[in-house]
Amino acid sequence: MIRFEQACVTYPNGVVGMKDLDLTIDDGEFVVIVGLSGAGKSTLIRAINGLVPLTSGRLDVNGRDVTKLNRSGLRELRSGIGMIFQGFNLVDRTTVLKNVLMGRLHEVPTWRTLIGRYPAADIDLAARALQRVEILEKAYSRASDLSGGQRQRVGIARALAQEPAIILADEPVASLDPPTSHVVMRYLQQISRELGITTIVNLHFLDLATAYADRIIGLRDGVLVFDGPGSDADEQVFESIYGRSLTADDTMTKHAAL
Amino acid sequence: MPAPPAGTVELPRRPLDVFRWVFGAGAVVLILWSLLRIDIKWSRLWDAPSDLWTIGTLMFGRMESGDIGKLSGAMWESIAIAWLGTIIAAVFAIPLSFLAAENLVGRPVAWVTRQVFNILRAVPEVILALAFIPLFGLTPMAGVMAIGVGSIGTLGKLFYEIHEGIKTGPLEAADAVGASRLQRMRWGVIPQVTPEMTSFLLYRFEVNIRASAVLGLVGAGGIGSDISQALLFKDWGTAGLGLIIVVVGTIIVDTISGAVRRRIVSGRQSATTTTEPELAITGGVLG
Amino acid sequence: MTHLDTVVPDAPTLPRKPRPALFTIATIAAAIALTIVTARSVDFSFGEIIGNLSRKNSVVEGLLNPDWGQIWSRRSRSAFIETLQLAVLGTATGATLALPLALWTTTFGNPNRWIRTVVRSFNNVNRAIPDLLWASLFVASVGIGALSGLLALFFFSLAVTTKLTSDTLDGIDMGPIEAANAAGASLPKMLRTAVVPQILPAYASFVLYNFELNLRASAVLGLVGAGGIGLRIEFFRGRGDWEALWGLVFMFFIVVFVVERLSVTLRRRLV
Ligand SMILES: Nc1ncnc2c1ncn2[C@@H]1O[C@H](COP(=O)(O)OP(=O)(O)OP(=O)(O)O)[C@@H](O)[C@H]1O
Ligand SMILES: [Mg+2]
Repeated sequence: MIRFEQACVTYPNGVVGMKDLDLTIDDGEFVVIVGLSGAGKSTLIRAINGLVPLTSGRLDVNGRDVTKLNRSGLRELRSGIGMIFQGFNLVDRTTVLKNVLMGRLHEVPTWRTLIGRYPAADIDLAARALQRVEILEKAYSRASDLSGGQRQRVGIARALAQEPAIILADEPVASLDPPTSHVVMRYLQQISRELGITTIVNLHFLDLATAYADRIIGLRDGVLVFDGPGSDADEQVFESIYGRSLTADDTMTKHAAL
Repeated sequence: MPAPPAGTVELPRRPLDVFRWVFGAGAVVLILWSLLRIDIKWSRLWDAPSDLWTIGTLMFGRMESGDIGKLSGAMWESIAIAWLGTIIAAVFAIPLSFLAAENLVGRPVAWVTRQVFNILRAVPEVILALAFIPLFGLTPMAGVMAIGVGSIGTLGKLFYEIHEGIKTGPLEAADAVGASRLQRMRWGVIPQVTPEMTSFLLYRFEVNIRASAVLGLVGAGGIGSDISQALLFKDWGTAGLGLIIVVVGTIIVDTISGAVRRRIVSGRQSATTTTEPELAITGGVLG
Repeated sequence: MTHLDTVVPDAPTLPRKPRPALFTIATIAAAIALTIVTARSVDFSFGEIIGNLSRKNSVVEGLLNPDWGQIWSRRSRSAFIETLQLAVLGTATGATLALPLALWTTTFGNPNRWIRTVVRSFNNVNRAIPDLLWASLFVASVGIGALSGLLALFFFSLAVTTKLTSDTLDGIDMGPIEAANAAGASLPKMLRTAVVPQILPAYASFVLYNFELNLRASAVLGLVGAGGIGLRIEFFRGRGDWEALWGLVFMFFIVVFVVERLSVTLRRRLV
């Protein structure tokens, strides 16, 4: 369970990224966060695994108070939370398998990770993760040789290899074309349902959000302005989140009915 | 053509560029002062071309093929000095370079490490060779040490510049999976920097060959020693042949090493191309 | 906690692991072999290094205890001045001639392909000969003294600045050249109005950079008898007076440092 209580984030330059947030996300939920650029979507996601520290308030993740964790506590926390990035964040020059094995860094003895000799069980786990996103045959390709959609599947596999309780995805499809975006979103949704992983996704496009979300959270200037099931989110709700009328740029398929 | 307006057209006044004038005048004064005060008998300059010509004909007209074996061996020794020196420098420069990259360690640590590089870079290898000769004798080992110590600074600088150019995405990913500092380095940084580092290492080896050929002139082993002996004893043929062997040997090693470097660099996928580092032009002794 | 094995029950088989690239193996093997062979040919030994470095010796003692008074000695000071003069004159002559020489290596600056090839080859050979080797050759032919140093620095500067300038010339805008040619300018006029203004700031910066390099180079020329501070260094070395030697070297670094700072500031203003 993830619970924010009166949580605030103010960046060193004075910009407020999150303001008095009260939010509870239960285990196994599939949540989509929407909001204009700069609304604080990334801030929320990154707060959960401690990449962005709260400046005040409380944040409990699976019973641990994130604000009180030290370095090794944070590493421990992060090892149980998979993260998927807009730019994939793969190491281009190494193989797909090595990239996925990064998800095992916390569990494998340091000396083994340093010389790159992972235990068979971890390699097996990485292979299963690759299998899960149907890209096992690329295990020994260089990450840079893959297409965008394939890379993001490797990103998902890396997160899966952590055997996480939570997956955080910060605009995972923003660098992909529409059909590929749907493929990636479907994987995330299936994984969340089948493995019971709490999944939190930032999305830019409203039609994608309504198509996949069980629950939608709307942010505006760091403040929570909407929280409800995906089915409740109609055009009026989005206009209130965005504070303006919707345009074609807000949907992926240009004339999608919401 | 339309007629020009009556009267003269007046241009706006040209602005006075003080900086340029001061700079130009300073340069002229410095050059004149040097020219007039330097301890050179300028009349000798007129004989220089003919002196050079004489020496040139002596050097390249009296070469003996019997010397080729011995001089090639000496050239090999120069190459060996350059290679081992480069390896020794790398052993120190690689770990230090991570400590000099501001994106990997804090600013204060990076600053201190860079000052170490700067000091090492300031000392010409020839001076280092002079210092090592009393310790190691007139042996190639003095040359190896001079090249080794002399290259730490430049290699370190080249390397940390590579580290600072890496993509931050993989580092962020490493943090997000809960990697430790060492693991972050091993899987987030090293795969990104290895190709360029290897390439620059080879590049430095090429530069060091020129340096080691020169070190012999002060007695630190290699072909420079043979050339300087030959010049001392006016054994012009040997000196000329030595010169040719230096140029040919350097070009051969450059060609092989350059081919390997290009292959390493082209094996990588990112669109940016590695250009030759600036030290390309500083020649050997300066590094 | 998730259990991937419940969802992907059959242990998947990874594709066959490809063998590492032949090129990688060959390069690593060659590097190791080269290290072993070269270590043998120079009688490399760690014991010797550690032994030699830890033994009490006057070189390191001098380094730890340098004689700062050197700068007040009249002879050292005049050696300093000679070094400075050599660097100035070497730059003034070599770097100045480098501009036409660089123009000569370009297609637009030199229509004659044959001459172009000759000039380029000259530059390549010149670059392959290190400055100290030039100095030794001049000392042998012209004689001991500053003149040999000046000649060596001349060729060195020519190599450095020509290389940098011709690299810059490769990247200039061809538009003004076309415009000048279209206006019927002769070759020299075209170069003067369409090319030189484009590269002048960069060229001026190269000249200054070259001066920094020359200052360092001129310090060692004297070791082979070509004038400047190197002669003093060689003198102290002969006497085994390492305190004085290091003192002199440190003084020289301070001078180089100051000149470099000045030059870097100037270069920033130029480009
Ligand atoms: N590291 C930082 N330092 C300073 N300000 C930041 C930092 N990161 C984000 N901000 C600011 O905090 C606010 C919220 O940013 P955040 O990245 O959370 O928005 P977002 O909703 O993810 O936007 P986008 O859709 O553009 O990714 C913005 O005003 C942003 O400029
Ligand atoms: Mg964002």
